[in-house]
Amino acid sequence: MALTYGTDEWEQAYVAEVAERQKAPRPYIAFSPEWIGLYEKAVQEDALYKEAAATWEGSVVLHVLAAPEVGIDEDLYLFMDLWHGDCRSMRLVPKEAGEAGDFVITGSMERWLQVSRKQLDTVKGMMQGKLKLKGDLPTIVRAVKAASRLVDIVADMDSIYPDELTPEQIEELRGWIVPLREKFGV
Amino acid sequence: MVTYLVGALLVALGGIAIVLIIASSKAEVGSGGTGELDVTMAEGVEDNGMAVMLAEMIKTNLTNKPERVKDFNKLKGTVWITAEDADVEMTMDFNKGSLTVRDGKVGKPILAISTDSATLMDLANIDIKFGMPYYFDETGMMVIKKLLKRELKIKGLLTHTIALTYMTKIMSVK
Repeated sequence: MALTYGTDEWEQAYVAEVAERQKAPRPYIAFSPEWIGLYEKAVQEDALYKEAAATWEGSVVLHVLAAPEVGIDEDLYLFMDLWHGDCRSMRLVPKEAGEAGDFVITGSMERWLQVSRKQLDTVKGMMQGKLKLKGDLPTIVRAVKAASRLVDIVADMDSIYPDELTPEQIEELRGWIVPLREKFGV
Repeated sequence: MVTYLVGALLVALGGIAIVLIIASSKAEVGSGGTGELDVTMAEGVEDNGMAVMLAEMIKTNLTNKPERVKDFNKLKGTVWITAEDADVEMTMDFNKGSLTVRDGKVGKPILAISTDSATLMDLANIDIKFGMPYYFDETGMMVIKKLLKRELKIKGLLTHTIALTYMTKIMSVK
């Protein structure tokens, strides 16, 4: 039975899971909990982001649509709790929590990987309809520099992208992601 | 040379701003109001991310800043916008209190704006001070420089200045 999101138990178990998974050698697979843990730390330590997001208030959720071809059989929701230049946490969260984020940006795995590789600018992606934004648009437009910085940080990270995985690695990913979803309800 | 041109353009914009403030204050008598916001998305526009975004931005802006509804109510004419890097274009038909948003280029625009996606965001970040677009801060200066470098092209800049001012005000998220 899944732990209840929002409880201390869930939070402690998630943090422990990330710590355990981060014992594996780097780089990590993009959007995995261990990779998200590194991303969280990178944002927390980034002076440029702190400056650009000094007035930012609200959570941002990256909604990655299911991509069975790379082992992601259900949608993923990466919840970023951002406040006045600080990144309070980044977590994979259950769908209901993800959908309730202040700003939800939705795209296919292919689009998010293009963004991560800096092949697709986030604003351009939204204008082309490749990424969809739900939330107060003027607020995010005012913070466009902070959003760009979040993407730049991802691009600077050493990552294994899901579309680079071999068929065996994809099956291995399925092997750990299913129990992870069951445990955390994500 | 560029500094001189920026200076000259700022002085010109300052002059236009003064004229517009006077015109606007006169026009306000008997006009303005905060009637129903009539924004229609034409068929086929739903896949145009830029059109959906800008329409949504205008609606949210006018809801959050009802004092700008009077600018929306005065604007009449067709505006065409293209984000060249994204290869997306849209048309907005303003008709004194109503807006129809269409995919592509439709009709004869009084304002034609061509630039890249990032600059469109800069345009949306132009500050509004004393009821007028403000070009004397970092974002405003950047927009002026892009105009001079032809990275931002606005057809109708001089012939439909008042329409451009209304447009800037209702688009601005500041």
